[in-house]
Amino acid sequence: MPCTGSSAPGAVPPYPRPRPGRAPEPTARRTVHDGHHQHTLPGPVVRTEGSAPVADQAVDHAYDGLGDTFAFYLDAYGRRSVDGRGLPLDATVHYGVHYDNAFWNGRQMVFGDGDGTLFQDFTGCVEIIGHELTHGVTQYSANLDYQGQSGALNESVSDVFGSLVKQYALGQTADRADWLIGAGLLAPGVQGVALRSLKAPGTAYHDARLGTDPQPATMAGYLDTEADNGGVHLNSGIPNHAFYLAAEALGGHAWERAGQIWYDVLTGGRLPSDADFAAFATATADAARARYGPGAELRAVQAAWTTVGVGAGVGAESTAGTSDATRINAPLRPA
Amino acid sequence: MRIQVIRDGGVSGVERRAALDTEGRPDAPHIHALAREVLSSGTRTASFGVPDGFHYAITVDERGTVYCTEPQLTDGQRDLIGLVLAQGR
Ligand SMILES: [Zn+2]
Repeated sequence: MPCTGSSAPGAVPPYPRPRPGRAPEPTARRTVHDGHHQHTLPGPVVRTEGSAPVADQAVDHAYDGLGDTFAFYLDAYGRRSVDGRGLPLDATVHYGVHYDNAFWNGRQMVFGDGDGTLFQDFTGCVEIIGHELTHGVTQYSANLDYQGQSGALNESVSDVFGSLVKQYALGQTADRADWLIGAGLLAPGVQGVALRSLKAPGTAYHDARLGTDPQPATMAGYLDTEADNGGVHLNSGIPNHAFYLAAEALGGHAWERAGQIWYDVLTGGRLPSDADFAAFATATADAARARYGPGAELRAVQAAWTTVGVGAGVGAESTAGTSDATRINAPLRPA
Repeated sequence: MRIQVIRDGGVSGVERRAALDTEGRPDAPHIHALAREVLSSGTRTASFGVPDGFHYAITVDERGTVYCTEPQLTDGQRDLIGLVLAQGR
């Protein structure tokens, strides 16, 4: 098994916990399909909610990862599934032949088996599953445009909550977490530990075939490119690292305060879909202040963005009670 | 005929590119037909696609470049992309 982090086989998940005489608690309503190495979606059903494991690791990993992600959003933020209204979770495994990817197609998850040379089975990493389902959460909330800085923010919140799904499943505090996306996904022989690192962007791999992890950690390394929708998987390193710094400064369970602040921004309804890094940074400072007041949380968030070079002292003036005119990082289009 | 494929996007964010020259290949007529079909059916502007979906740019000689994104690929696009990425260099 390449990755750890999903519920241990046979472990009793903390959900659902039906209690006689009460309304049943929400369940993930999972359905896993087998793509049979074709490209037709979704493919025949091989496992449904509550049914027993099957003799196919990809099916069971996908099932467990969907459950871990569902439990995370419900327990940490009271969110019922991807859309907040109990959307059933569907996934297709064994998509295509040696397919080196996993994606959210707007309705369901799709997993390839990996080519075995560069990448292994994409169902093996719970943070990848959390990452993809968070694309669904974003689709139903801030709906960040998938290009340029808003696209990098879209990618970053998927990395942030993907990592938090894993940390939550393992009960880890910020200082114990690996902060990696795709830990164990790289095939044997590939020089690297993962696809990305929120703790140390740009250090996840360095390999003759795969190349070198290109992610910047700060605005000094910001990449202006047309590729990858304007570098959405590249410049996401900057907001990723800001989240890591805020979570690390606050300590404890990263999903509780840092994660709550990011979640408030994502789902608060005020972030424009074309938000840039500066607008997002301002929004996190505003959210920290709104939920926790002008304390350690706000300071941690401001310091994190300052360290990565986004809007030095973001939100500092408004702490002192000055007007919106001081918000130099406001988005070009008003929220 | 020289066919180039650039694949970007994907959850890994790792770009892949390969080019295939059909000169001297016994299956050249088949590949040429495939390439003509892809050129005539594809769009000439890039689109953003779904999150983490692969994006492909397929360039055939000087005849132009077409763009397509997962998972909305035609069988012809999928065949040509698979061939170039597997056998090109
Ligand atoms: Zn993504």
